[in-house]
Amino acid sequence: MKTEVYFDDFQISDQLPPLTKPPIDQIQLVKYAGASGDFNPLHYMPEIGQMAGTGGVIAHGMLIMGFAGQAVAGWIPNRYLTRFSVRFVGMTKLGDTITVTGTITGKREEQEFGIITGEVIAADQNGEIKLKGTFEASLPKR
Amino acid sequence: MSDRNSLVDTELSRHTFTVERGKIRELALAIGDDNPVYTDPEYARSLGYRDVIAPPTFGTCIDLWGGLDFMELCRKLQLNPVNVLHGGQDYEYYGAIYPGDVIEACSVLKKQLHKSKMSILILETTYRNQNGDTVLTCRKTIIERGQVQ
Repeated sequence: MKTEVYFDDFQISDQLPPLTKPPIDQIQLVKYAGASGDFNPLHYMPEIGQMAGTGGVIAHGMLIMGFAGQAVAGWIPNRYLTRFSVRFVGMTKLGDTITVTGTITGKREEQEFGIITGEVIAADQNGEIKLKGTFEASLPKR
Repeated sequence: MSDRNSLVDTELSRHTFTVERGKIRELALAIGDDNPVYTDPEYARSLGYRDVIAPPTFGTCIDLWGGLDFMELCRKLQLNPVNVLHGGQDYEYYGAIYPGDVIEACSVLKKQLHKSKMSILILETTYRNQNGDTVLTCRKTIIERGQVQ
């Protein structure tokens, strides 16, 4: 199962394999609330969503970051990841199907390691962007 | 709102959190992340870890289960929960987090900015393990929208 990943394996503008998640349902939001401890009622009480003007329940931003993190750690083993940063740019609703895509945007060599940077985007079935972020990793050279 | 300025650069919370194997697994399952490095110790050891590790967004569990939960944070920062949005999250990783680790998390309100009808708050958290090593830092952006009419 162990496959080593090297700095040399990545080139600028490489597209990384996309990750498509199953549609978000109520159960997932309840599970995520319990797992994370985020009990903001916006994520499970539709009437609070109406008050807040979101038009119903919305997914936790950190759940979508969790999806993005699943994709990122699939591209680059956790041990090499040094930074992972996102902005939440759109609300995710029940039934949305999120796909996470990634692109390598930069490479620079240090003495023993090589640093790669990338962009990560999570968007729904209509291509509407929910999350935009960057990651940085320090990888061994071949 | 003006009272909140006095909170800038002060410690909002300091707490310790013992990392449990079950919590790591629960977070991975809630996300639907099937990477066995979070659930299978044998697999994790085959990669050179001493046990399963926490996923990249595990810091949120440490914050919300160990320290201030969402409602307490709103009270402390004088935010109306209904108007609060999570603007962004920025993690830096310095080492793996394992089951059994005792993490001390310290949160500071770093900045408060006002933009038209919004307030933007930057919360910085540093996570140290039982050996005194910083394993994770986080900058969280909280947005408070103007009152909904």
